[in-house]
Amino acid sequence: MAFIKLNDLEVEVEDGTNIIEAARQHGIEVPHYCYHPGLTRPANCRMCLVEPHVFFPPAGKVVPDRQLATGCTTTVRTAPPDRKLDGKYDFIVRTDSPRVKKAREDILEFLLVHHPLDCPVCDQAGECDLQDFSYNHGSGKSRYLEVKNVPPKKDLGPDVLLYSTRCIVCTRCIRFCDEVAGTGELGLIHRGSHDEIDIPRDHDENPLRLLDNKLAGNVVDICPVGALISKDFLFKSRPWFMKQVNSVCPGCSVGCNITVDYKEDGLYRIQPRFHEDINQHWMCDDGRLGYHYVNSEDRLQIPMKRVDGELVPTSWADALNLVVEKFSETDPDSIAIIGSAQATNEENYLLGKLAHEILKTESIGLFGREPDEEHKFPQFTIDADKNPNTRGARDMLKLGDDASLTEEVFRDGIANAKAVYLVNGAPERPLDETAKQALEAVDFLVVQDIFESDVAQLADVVLPGVTFAEKEGTFTNAKGWVQRIHRAVDPPGEARTDWEIIQQLANRLGGEMNYHFAGEIALDIAENVPDYQDATHQKIGDGGVKLNGGNN
Amino acid sequence: MSNELIQIETPFQFSEENQQEFERLIQRYPVKEAAMLPTLHLAQKQAGYISPAVMEHVAELLELPVMKVKDVVTFYPMFFEEPVGKYVIRVCYTLPCALRDCKLVLEHIKQKFDIDVASETDLAKGTTPDEKFTLLKSECLASCDVAPVVMVNDDLYKNLTPEKMDEILDGLE
Ligand code: SF4
Ligand code: SF4
Ligand code: FES
Ligand code: FES
Repeated sequence: MAFIKLNDLEVEVEDGTNIIEAARQHGIEVPHYCYHPGLTRPANCRMCLVEPHVFFPPAGKVVPDRQLATGCTTTVRTAPPDRKLDGKYDFIVRTDSPRVKKAREDILEFLLVHHPLDCPVCDQAGECDLQDFSYNHGSGKSRYLEVKNVPPKKDLGPDVLLYSTRCIVCTRCIRFCDEVAGTGELGLIHRGSHDEIDIPRDHDENPLRLLDNKLAGNVVDICPVGALISKDFLFKSRPWFMKQVNSVCPGCSVGCNITVDYKEDGLYRIQPRFHEDINQHWMCDDGRLGYHYVNSEDRLQIPMKRVDGELVPTSWADALNLVVEKFSETDPDSIAIIGSAQATNEENYLLGKLAHEILKTESIGLFGREPDEEHKFPQFTIDADKNPNTRGARDMLKLGDDASLTEEVFRDGIANAKAVYLVNGAPERPLDETAKQALEAVDFLVVQDIFESDVAQLADVVLPGVTFAEKEGTFTNAKGWVQRIHRAVDPPGEARTDWEIIQQLANRLGGEMNYHFAGEIALDIAENVPDYQDATHQKIGDGGVKLNGGNN
Repeated sequence: MSNELIQIETPFQFSEENQQEFERLIQRYPVKEAAMLPTLHLAQKQAGYISPAVMEHVAELLELPVMKVKDVVTFYPMFFEEPVGKYVIRVCYTLPCALRDCKLVLEHIKQKFDIDVASETDLAKGTTPDEKFTLLKSECLASCDVAPVVMVNDDLYKNLTPEKMDEILDGLE
């Protein structure tokens, strides 16, 4: 630990911390553009200048250093006893001296030389570092009277647009593609004040490569201004009109921490949220852009039952009664309960309880999306398992690690069943022919789902459940992190939260479940499921809880 | 601006001689990327200009994303991304040469060939239709003591007047 004097504060920070982070830890903002904690530090924007103090022998005292230093690349270290400043400090720095303030004003004036005044139509307005730092640290006037450069707007790839005029050439986007994605699509063309970010093109502006790697969307997040813009979000909403909840991406078993931006009419944007051990600052584009199914018009909104071969709408009471009736007629050994790697721990736990304690059947299986390829980047991996909760579902349903999600295992699971209760909830889950046949052979199939999916189409009763954005609960990722999802929007139509559906069914079948919210189920999980003792909603909070014995 | 990727019809390859030269010079650098400038000069010497095919090949040789090559090519005015004339005329236009009337020399060449001054993004407007000459302005060529000066390809000409310029240009094949 280094003992430093930061403005008028005396604080301790870890050795190796840079001034920007040291100040941030103690509530002081050092404005910066090129520095990003997840990337290398070129110190090219000069926005972060601070004033270190040094011992000046002729004067016999500590004085401000001759030059200002960049807060991004200046790190503090414990000094040997004879080198302490004023007898006790390892470092002395001011972030608020007149010299620092003047430097900030000057740098901002330069950065704004060619910047258009298009905040009124810029997507970044309201969450723009150029707006905020100009507001807090700028001079409020420009002396530049000449003509501004107007480089063209550019299409960089499937989801990313570049408004070149707004770019301040911090190079974060280039470094992201070089360092985290390892794909190197971006670079700078031309020189000096004519610098422009671009993908490689021929002389007629036709691209040789596109910014189309699976992590590309992250450049939009880290662009400190409104230069890089997501086509998906372009002109959709002012940021201040949206609400935001923390959640976890349901796209694969990495379990990236995210924020969900939403309004009453649905989800608007997903962005990564920092988690040191899981996704750092990043997420993939499959997860980022994969939320549209939540808003879909085609979501299941009412229960359905099969009448004369057709699925027709019915009431919840009728649908649940029908299930109870058929299940009661069926020998417990011929009933199969199929949990879901898409559903939360709480939901799978209740399914397990329903199977073990109420129906007393041993036929328990697991359903979920089929694995895809793994995608590895220098600093990020997208998991092959396209479910957010395979590990948690296995733990809750007491299935072994080998309860895989392949079609064969699934077919074996239902091979001898006469009645099946299957929870799906995947945004998409096509079935192959043999799996379809196996399901068709079941006498009575209940499917809880969010779309009229391949499985739902084969069902005798369809119960409309909800997506990750409409409920509370936890997922356990592949590395054993238990993390919370949060409800953003209301379920569509009469769709109900999945654990409530399971509880209602269980109680109609003779159970005595009395949970009022998902957190209550998690308390039972903590008591009853090995390794989950710390996985209460309260302890999980926003940072997650790592299971005992979880291997990294 | 479309998102159609361009297809490279004819890939670029170094001639046998230039390939040997490339292999010789790559030895001089601790990392391949550092050989970028000499490799590009060599390629431009062979191909006349840096086409997408050249960029792709250089990127491959140096094991870099092609954007890193594009980045360097657009940074330096010595690299051309379009065909240029057989003779590239660079008229120094920095202050000492300006004080010694480089403008007269430049205007004379413009009139002589009925061309404009080429820019980095539009070389064609400064190139004669027979593709013999391309006219460019240049920053200081480090010969201010003999201003005004002009470079034609790799040769420097000093103390120029429109008449002397004529003699030089007329003598070129
Ligand atoms: S586009 Fe954005 S991230 Fe990239 S250099 Fe410009 S300002 Fe920085
Ligand atoms: S890596 Fe997986 S969890 Fe992370 S954003 Fe992509 S799909 Fe979502
Ligand atoms: S953040 Fe330090 S120089 Fe850019
Ligand atoms: S100004 Fe022309 S050579 Fe220096």
